[in-house]
Amino acid sequence: MNQPRTYTRGMQRWWLRRPSYRFYLLREGTSVVIALYGLFLLAGMAALAVGPGAFETWRGLLFSPLSWLLHLVVLAAFTFHAWTWFKVLPLTVPPVKTRRFPRGFTDATLNRVALWAWGVVSLVILVAAMRGLQ
Amino acid sequence: MKPRSHEPIFWSLFGGGGMLAALVGPILVLIIGLLVPIGLGFGPEAMNYEQMRGLLGHPMMGFGLAILIALFFFHAAHRILHTLHDLGVHASERLKLICYGSAAGGSALAVLVALVLVLRG
Amino acid sequence: MSQTRTIVIECLRFHPETDEAPYYQSYEVPFTEEMSVLEGLQYIKDHLDGTLTFRWSCRMAICGSCGCMVNDEPVLSCQTFLRDYHPARIRVEPLAHFPILRDLAIDQTDFLAKLESVHPYLIPSTGDDPGDQPRHQTPDQVQDYLGYAQCINCLLCYAACPQYGLNDAFTGPAALALLHRYNADSRDAGKDQRMEVINAEEGVWGCTLVGECSEVCPKHVDPARAINQNKIASTQDYFLRFLKPRGRR
Ligand code: SF4
Ligand code: FES
Repeated sequence: MNQPRTYTRGMQRWWLRRPSYRFYLLREGTSVVIALYGLFLLAGMAALAVGPGAFETWRGLLFSPLSWLLHLVVLAAFTFHAWTWFKVLPLTVPPVKTRRFPRGFTDATLNRVALWAWGVVSLVILVAAMRGLQ
Repeated sequence: MKPRSHEPIFWSLFGGGGMLAALVGPILVLIIGLLVPIGLGFGPEAMNYEQMRGLLGHPMMGFGLAILIALFFFHAAHRILHTLHDLGVHASERLKLICYGSAAGGSALAVLVALVLVLRG
Repeated sequence: MSQTRTIVIECLRFHPETDEAPYYQSYEVPFTEEMSVLEGLQYIKDHLDGTLTFRWSCRMAICGSCGCMVNDEPVLSCQTFLRDYHPARIRVEPLAHFPILRDLAIDQTDFLAKLESVHPYLIPSTGDDPGDQPRHQTPDQVQDYLGYAQCINCLLCYAACPQYGLNDAFTGPAALALLHRYNADSRDAGKDQRMEVINAEEGVWGCTLVGECSEVCPKHVDPARAINQNKIASTQDYFLRFLKPRGRR
């Protein structure tokens, strides 16, 4: 059969087409911050293994005002990551599981449960750290 | 027959890292990066050398932190690889190797450092 | 009679015989309160420009043939109303990510092949013949797939999915949702045949959970959920296959 000529438009700068696409890229972008933060923690661990001098240098960096400001950004990225993560989490729970839960147990309920768990875990870590690291 | 994807390996690591980053990431950043440096709720000597050696010398804490860091790396490697694809960079075998290779390298290093810290107590 | 106002509809035009590339053409369309975008297009065809091509049939959001982009949002033009955009102009384009055949009509060949690839029909297990008897299902068993069975193949989800736009090898939202619809049906025994589609790079692993498919779906099919549940299924299959008896990998 004679195929008619078609025209396919490209994907140039597709993220400009819908705000939700930019939201998605922002969500994925938090992973860069997470990687960098992992590196920062790894550096601290390594410095600790090297010795007091190296660790004091790392700790000095941590205590600098610039670090404090950067950590505000890092906290924002992690929080945004967590928020979006718990938002989509219910999608991966199979209905055979949710079926056994009481009626009215929806994605929103599951999301709320996850957010509560997040809060409790955070609180426990905070309290433990405040008692353990004085 | 379409070849089976090996994504389940990397997706599981991505998921584990994403879950931990969501659950404990924000509070760790808040404590280590913001509260301790300004001494809010913590003394001026918090997180000093002795204290951290003691803390991370414990296998649970040392290896726990190493695994956390490793999963952060794999989480990020997965997302960065796919986002590069979204931005028009083809996810070639080489790019995959770079992304997951550096995550694996960083993870190995983290575990190694934890081992040193734990062995020295 | 409700009062008549005028709205500008900017249409993407493309006729393969004469046009090198698509271009926009604007029409001034008088409309009333209850007029849909589809009716606006029909007004253009009947009164302003008979060469404008677009698809429709039911005019009641059930046949799935009138999908198009309105201001970059994939919608059914028969259930999208001009009053909601007035006094601004609207831009109507063919569904994104598909080859344009003519004006607003796209080529769905690729989707039809994908739909076929997921075995979208009940596959009973061998020797399981109910004869004249009905097959019973509990209300819970029906609920497991009913939502996914609402798909009208309108392809709005494909037009919303950047992963499909970036790589059209991806099986895509509606086909995977329909795959899940049959897998989730208690009368079906064809999971094994569909697993290969799920497990492939172009199967569920082509998805990065942008989530827009579920947002734009006019029938609330929620393809994003179907796909992500099957990421779990595929992961289990990947690791547990080593425990299965030989020959069934
Ligand atoms: S899943 Fe929804 S948006 Fe996609 S083709 Fe089916 S009805 Fe249309
Ligand atoms: S004309 Fe049938 S869905 Fe719009």
